Amino acid sequence: MYAVLHPPNFAAQVAAQQRPELRKRAFALVDGEPPAEVVVAANKAARSCGVEAGMSRLQGETFPGVIILRRVQEDELTAQAILHTIACMFSPRIEYVESYAGTYALDVRGMNGLFGDETQLANKLRQRIMTNGFLANVAVAENFDAAVCLARGRTGVSIVPPGQEADALRDLPLHVLNLSEEHAETFKAWGIRTCGQLAALAETDLISRLGQAGRRLHALARGISPHLMFPIEPRFEESLVERMELDFPVDLLEPLLFLLARMADALLERVKSKALAIGSVRVVLHLDGGKQHERTVRPALPLDDKPTLLKLLQLDLETHPPSAAILSLELYAQSAAPHRAQHGLFLPQAPEPGRLEVVLARLRKLLGEERVGSVELKDDHRPNAFRMVPFAPPPPKRTEQSSLSVITALRVCRPPQAVGVMLVGNTPSRVFWDGERYSVREVAGPWRVSGQWWSEANWCREEWDVRLGTQNAERVCRIAYDPRSRCWYVQGTYD
Amino acid sequence: MSASAAIRLQVETALAKRVPAALTLKIKQAPELFSTGIAEVDAVLGGGIPRGSITEIAGAASTGKTSFALSSIAAITQSGAACAWVDVSDALSPESAAAAQVVMKRLLWLRMSSDRKKSVADKPWSRLEQALKATDLLLQAGGFAAIVLDMSDVRPQDATRIPLQHWYRFRLAAEHARTALVLLTQTPCAKSCSALALRSEPSSVQPFSRNGETALFEGQRYRLVRERDRNESSALALHLKKPSTRAEWNAETPWSRVR
Repeated sequence: MYAVLHPPNFAAQVAAQQRPELRKRAFALVDGEPPAEVVVAANKAARSCGVEAGMSRLQGETFPGVIILRRVQEDELTAQAILHTIACMFSPRIEYVESYAGTYALDVRGMNGLFGDETQLANKLRQRIMTNGFLANVAVAENFDAAVCLARGRTGVSIVPPGQEADALRDLPLHVLNLSEEHAETFKAWGIRTCGQLAALAETDLISRLGQAGRRLHALARGISPHLMFPIEPRFEESLVERMELDFPVDLLEPLLFLLARMADALLERVKSKALAIGSVRVVLHLDGGKQHERTVRPALPLDDKPTLLKLLQLDLETHPPSAAILSLELYAQSAAPHRAQHGLFLPQAPEPGRLEVVLARLRKLLGEERVGSVELKDDHRPNAFRMVPFAPPPPKRTEQSSLSVITALRVCRPPQAVGVMLVGNTPSRVFWDGERYSVREVAGPWRVSGQWWSEANWCREEWDVRLGTQNAERVCRIAYDPRSRCWYVQGTYD
Repeated sequence: MSASAAIRLQVETALAKRVPAALTLKIKQAPELFSTGIAEVDAVLGGGIPRGSITEIAGAASTGKTSFALSSIAAITQSGAACAWVDVSDALSPESAAAAQVVMKRLLWLRMSSDRKKSVADKPWSRLEQALKATDLLLQAGGFAAIVLDMSDVRPQDATRIPLQHWYRFRLAAEHARTALVLLTQTPCAKSCSALALRSEPSSVQPFSRNGETALFEGQRYRLVRERDRNESSALALHLKKPSTRAEWNAETPWSRVR
């Protein structure tokens, strides 16, 4: 059983609702790019004056007493949202009829317990719409399209008992079937004015003259047109929200975790019902004093197990604790396709993604955000030209073994350590470092390097590779001289 | 069945619940080895560093510990496995790692945070504690083929004060996770927990200037001495001839490759 609500002349109704003083006056709405604006709607008073849809603005303005207004799409959208909300109050399954503005079809099967029989439901629905400032026709019928046609063709409430759709539609004019101009002309030429006359024609003859469109129109006129309802469903992502108000402010994170566990569980249940996983979770904590603390946990791979998700939330909140007591909390989740991987027997060892995520979160808590991850080198010759990126090892895959020689690694001093250097003929001869006196046994350099000379961040230095020795030890280091600060420092040790 | 065999069977049956196969000789499996990427060292170690146990490399500065570890990590990451570098002194040079052909995306680098106001050498304990905790977490998580615990800049008096229980736990965890834990230290501190103990030494000095050319640091020659190898017996079974305990190898600077 379908109930269809149709607000006739929707655009004009919306304009009148926005400006109540227009209700008693004749007005027409125009739309389009000036100066090619055309009339798209007019109220009853304007139509009785002779204004019709499709007229130009200039033609509309020739009628005395008719106000010409611009159509406001935003107002229509707002009005549509109001009608949508009303429709949602009467049925969980609603469909928007796109052919007619503001028209909704409701599946009212099983709603008797809440709203009474079909007549009562239709009256209540119409009453509710009128309370919100709109006039609407409501029709209830077993057939979807029959209900739509009746709502368009009859004023007020129309109830059609099952099986009597054809009788109900008999006297309706043909325009309720949403005819194309060509078909309307054809039927006018044939002398067909009502749905009943169209239904009385032989189907095969109609098909032979109009094709499949004729068959569709014949079924519509008889009230037997099949229709598969596509109810509007709320967006899944919007449903992935959990909110909780606390009875009293909470300072500690531990009691909060019990609540978070419950909320995360609910979110996971919802996500799993769609065979998805959680891609990211945003925690919003409303704090005492009106502040808001927001954290986002975004695991490398979508998660679908509660302990891992909860542990990640806990570690993140422990690393970044809120500054005041918590009054309420919200959890927003984003769904993602779960991670599927084809493992192989002969692939090299790799960390298990879920476990790795938790370990990385623990390590970040222990060492700091910027001290855990992989390295990405920058295209720069400045020392320490690299950035840390999240550790996400690619799938195990053997790469070609290089046949290059072994490299002498440099152990970098971070930050560089200042040293005293004694020069002989502009070449270092002794180095005083960390309370030790080193003699320079061999030296290579200076290698002058500089960069960013075009900006304020310019830098330059002279690098020397030196073999330093004491009585019982020897080491090879890279020392550098900074001409700006006139300072010597150790960049690192070759090891 | 001989009398001794009967007695043996009787003893084993009695102890079966507590010690299974108490008197049967346990055949030790040869451990899986990771190549170090240095042919000379692999020859001495019988194939490389053992998986699932601790390898300790001790030596002074500029004796090739870091170069050796980077070479090993490069070979392991190139095989497709993930590795971690626990850097107590925050001394790893990413440029050197890249030049050593380490697959950077497979290397997790953990940089211990040092107090900026104080010298790095002044406060080693907080960083050491962090490093030990981080290593423990990585070993417990599993999945890493090799973990390098770089304590090269930690003074010997601090490194030897690390309680032995840490090394016992690491040994068991490494065995369980099948991870090669490589320690870089100035002096041996893992004692009997390390399956392979190596000592790195400087070898013959390569002069900066050869044949009167402009002085240029082109590389070093290092020596690695095998002090202890718990898997030597299994290695011996494979190699009929006892391998040497010393290996000398060359390491070049990246710019000398260009020449």
